[in-house]
Amino acid sequence: MPHPTQSFVRNGLLSVIDAAAYAAIGPHLEPVDLPKGTVLIEAGEPFTHAHFFNSGIGSIVVSTADSQRVEAGIFGRDGLSGFGSLLGVDQCPQTTMVQVEGEGYRVSIEALRSACQQSDSLRETLLRYVHVFISQTSYTSLSNVSQSVEGRLARWLLMCHDRVTGDDIALTHEFLSIMLAVQRPSVTTALHMIEGYGFIKARRGHITIKDRDALIDFADGMYGTPEAEYRRLIGPFG
Amino acid sequence: MSRFYLNQQIPNGIIEDPDGTEAIDLTAARHEAILAARQLLANAILTGVAPLGSAFQITNEAGQILLSVPFRDALPLGFINTD
Repeated sequence: MPHPTQSFVRNGLLSVIDAAAYAAIGPHLEPVDLPKGTVLIEAGEPFTHAHFFNSGIGSIVVSTADSQRVEAGIFGRDGLSGFGSLLGVDQCPQTTMVQVEGEGYRVSIEALRSACQQSDSLRETLLRYVHVFISQTSYTSLSNVSQSVEGRLARWLLMCHDRVTGDDIALTHEFLSIMLAVQRPSVTTALHMIEGYGFIKARRGHITIKDRDALIDFADGMYGTPEAEYRRLIGPFG
Repeated sequence: MSRFYLNQQIPNGIIEDPDGTEAIDLTAARHEAILAARQLLANAILTGVAPLGSAFQITNEAGQILLSVPFRDALPLGFINTD
């Protein structure tokens, strides 16, 4: 079966691993489109595939019994879905879905596990990513309890901006309300405020980042640490 | 189910609700507006910055205003003793 050569892949994990590590996983990579709304991991269902993104944004979400949803974390070309399988478990209580469409590669969980057994450096790189992801969720938790809705929005917009090409991000108010765990009017108001400061331009279903540095200042230290961990431990980011 | 829009009244206009929300009836839509107003007021208290808006205007898909919900209606009774 033809499979992508390493120089061709844009996923941050697959492009930094050494040639032997890529030889272990590359033959198992199947190119896939990632349309918006696709559920990649269903809560409480056995893992079947992991997805390495080349583009787009995936979202890991937890829900209450009455289906209020809150986002636990996001990933894009920096990461993969289904990384719980690397930790020796067969399922998880969170749902992973595509929030901004993209494309990437899928690999069966068995093939991923066996590739990690063949290559220590592959396994170590992927586990370092799990660490970075935990750092991200830790900062999300800190941000959720300490920041205003506007501050949290600024942080999340930066995180999305890191994972798209260009300055335009296709984000609905509904997705933003899940990301920030607030109702939509809070999103609308926070967008209105941040747009008023000149940091972004908001159109229906689209946000354009106009002043990234100002957004970083506005996020008040809540953005940047997990991203720095990625650069320190894995490779180029954003 | 009908679609209702929670437009927010601000001093020089409104902040439009672009997508609207599905609700069984106007009472359910008002309940959503109350919950949303509580969140906006809570954020205003947290940041010490007055809320931009003062009320939600609930409209239908045709843009007709069905009900105005002042943010003060979202405060619990006896929230602030005004005597």
